Amino acid sequence: MEDYGSSDEDIYSSDQDSLDGLENDESDSQWGSSTGNSCKVITRESLLVAQREDLWRVTDLLSLREHHARTLLIHYRWDVERLLAVLVEKGKNCLFAEAGVPVLEEVDVDSYVSSSTVTCDICIEEVAGSEVTKMDCGHCFCNDCWTEHFIVKIKEGQSKRIRCMAHKCFAICDEAVIRQLVSKRHPDLAEKFDRFLLESYIEDNKMVKWCPSIPHCGNAIRVERDEFCEVECSCGLQFCFSCLSEAHSPCSCWMWELWTKKCQDESETVNWITVHTKPCPKCHKPVEKNGGCNLVSCICGQAFCWLCGGATGRDHTWSSISGHSCGRYKEDQEKKSERAKRDLYRYMHYHNRYKAHTDSFKQESRLRETIKEKVANLESKDSRLRDFSWVTNGLYRLFRSRRALSFSYPFAFYIFGDDLFKDEMTNAEKEIKQHLFEVQQQQLEANVEKLSKAFEEPFDDYEETHIMEMRMQVLNLSVVTDTLCKKMYECIETDLLGALQFSSHNIAPYQSKGIERATELNGGRSAKANNIIPCQKAHDQTNGGSIEFVQPSGCGTSDEIGCSSRKRTRKDSGGGFFDLNLPAELIDRN
Amino acid sequence: MVDLARVQKELHECNRDFQVSGINVSLKGDSLTHLIGTIPGPTGTPYEGGTFNIDITLTDGYPFEPPKMKFATKVWHPNISSQSGAICLDILKDQWSPALTLKTALLSIQALLSAPEPDDPQDAVVAQQYLRDHQTFVGTARYWTETFAKTSTLAADEKVHKLVEMGFPEAQVRSTLAATGWDENMALEKLLSS
Ligand SMILES: [Zn+2]
Ligand SMILES: [Zn+2]
Ligand SMILES: [Zn+2]
Ligand SMILES: [Zn+2]
Ligand SMILES: [Zn+2]
Ligand SMILES: [Zn+2]
Ligand SMILES: [Zn+2]
Repeated sequence: MEDYGSSDEDIYSSDQDSLDGLENDESDSQWGSSTGNSCKVITRESLLVAQREDLWRVTDLLSLREHHARTLLIHYRWDVERLLAVLVEKGKNCLFAEAGVPVLEEVDVDSYVSSSTVTCDICIEEVAGSEVTKMDCGHCFCNDCWTEHFIVKIKEGQSKRIRCMAHKCFAICDEAVIRQLVSKRHPDLAEKFDRFLLESYIEDNKMVKWCPSIPHCGNAIRVERDEFCEVECSCGLQFCFSCLSEAHSPCSCWMWELWTKKCQDESETVNWITVHTKPCPKCHKPVEKNGGCNLVSCICGQAFCWLCGGATGRDHTWSSISGHSCGRYKEDQEKKSERAKRDLYRYMHYHNRYKAHTDSFKQESRLRETIKEKVANLESKDSRLRDFSWVTNGLYRLFRSRRALSFSYPFAFYIFGDDLFKDEMTNAEKEIKQHLFEVQQQQLEANVEKLSKAFEEPFDDYEETHIMEMRMQVLNLSVVTDTLCKKMYECIETDLLGALQFSSHNIAPYQSKGIERATELNGGRSAKANNIIPCQKAHDQTNGGSIEFVQPSGCGTSDEIGCSSRKRTRKDSGGGFFDLNLPAELIDRN
Repeated sequence: MVDLARVQKELHECNRDFQVSGINVSLKGDSLTHLIGTIPGPTGTPYEGGTFNIDITLTDGYPFEPPKMKFATKVWHPNISSQSGAICLDILKDQWSPALTLKTALLSIQALLSAPEPDDPQDAVVAQQYLRDHQTFVGTARYWTETFAKTSTLAADEKVHKLVEMGFPEAQVRSTLAATGWDENMALEKLLSS
């Protein structure tokens, strides 16, 4: 499986260079206004802005100074909702005391700034009144001692919570004082201190994580509500926000971790068995796969299924695979005695299918250029047909469905295996559920292959009527695969993972429109936040601010397509978004 | 750099009220970074009557970093290692504050002798005994105090008396004797050279 990691990068990079043009049209309409988790990209430059939004909500609400708000937020790990809950539950004094923010700020600040001298209790020296600093907690020591204390704490890596020097005083020191005093003696340490404070917003925040790109793009991603999601950073990397590995739904993070480990461990065993060619079932010559479709044909004319190697009949059109049922794994009774062998075969069964689909995905990704050319050919023709968005939309539907399909195999490997969920299901229950799942998986698989086959056709040479037929076919298949994907996710979330009693697995919800692209956090939004009083209102705006579309009458199907499969996010689409990605006539059709 | 001026002031301050506190801090050698603290065992405890020496090392960060302290005298206590003398006390770790002093730290150690915290043990064996078989614990602690923490009082008083008669102040005599492990000759040498 070693080659897997590197070729994945290929996907990402090819994503970027070859498809920017195609995808942009699409994604603009997709994420501009409504759905999703509204993920944001936080760059080094916008980190301050991102932090300010939360800081200002707290400073406005509690009429605090900014550094006290930061102290509170660091203590509550930047979870404003939790901070507000504590405020309501325990009151302001308790909230402040727990976080080390002085409840009452001393007002007699200038009592020490007299000409007389003061004894510093740390160095036990007489110091001029102008050489001492009094913190908000009321404790006063000489500037040299404060500075030394700050330097020791910053070097210890405690920048985020530097406590007052007085014994049993839990107040956190004013960051402005720290900055000012430290920069006099140690400017680069003061800079380090600032960076620590700034990055606390990422490091101590459950909803913000660094993008896992290597080399690092410098960005972090912030999600709004749900940490179980998949996102795309502005650098192009798509990843699972929860575990930071590549996007892997409908596999849970835990399953995916086990699977990748297993793939590495087993790769040598499997490598000598899984070859890159398969023998033709008729003439036994090795046949190499050269298209994304899992129906291959030998030079002798025999068509067969790449997944199982079985002959599928002479006529290898997309319709002939529908009766094919090799995606169903049947336990070989004869092998039962040899458990180890059986386990390996079981693993190979799922791995072969997983690998076949990821390979197809890679090949289809390469197909993009060819498709682009075909579309260009069509557009150059003097034809009544103008709109070819169905081609690109169909192609993206293929990619998304192919992805979901490939990750559904490691999922099935674990959920129906003997290791992880042994006590969760009886054998009878398992059999029923597995059957149910595999029926759905196969339906999806059949339709994905049909869609893939369609794109292999030389449609740029077709007559207009033929193209119109193909267009209808692609549109139909897109709707069907989308619906089947969604159903498969629903089956996984509700019937399989939702029924677990002893363990909890979460998966990123199905996104009909693909992995959400995080948008740049811009200054405009924060400028808005600046003016918002009271803050609760600001909160409502950011969370519920998606634009709702009025549902056109009688568009049952399209409304289904647009929403995510997860029940708990259902309310977001309750108003009934229609899929901006679909051509208008498809919506009208219903 | 250790704040030497402060350490000197602390020593002066501490030894000035030795009569009241019974707590003494003195130099171990020539350097101001290696010291010996002495605390009397608190009355009403199995440590009563003993004199416990604490080995003190000051890091460069002192007083912004805590002093390193461990028992030089063997002691049987749940929060002190019976092997190494390591002390489990929060103010010597993350609860240290630069406003604390060697004397306050030693007072805290003395308080720890009076009130062990077996739930946060340094020595698991001692802690187990403390909780399960308290009587045996008291017996062992007392035995260790007798064996390791007492220079026979008679002999000690004699040594003090001898040196005081030579014209040295009693407080200084006691602290010097403590610092030299009650070695009369070494103490005299130190007293003469100071
Ligand atoms: Zn000072
Ligand atoms: Zn204070
Ligand atoms: Zn990135
Ligand atoms: Zn994950
Ligand atoms: Zn053949
Ligand atoms: Zn084919
Ligand atoms: Zn097959």
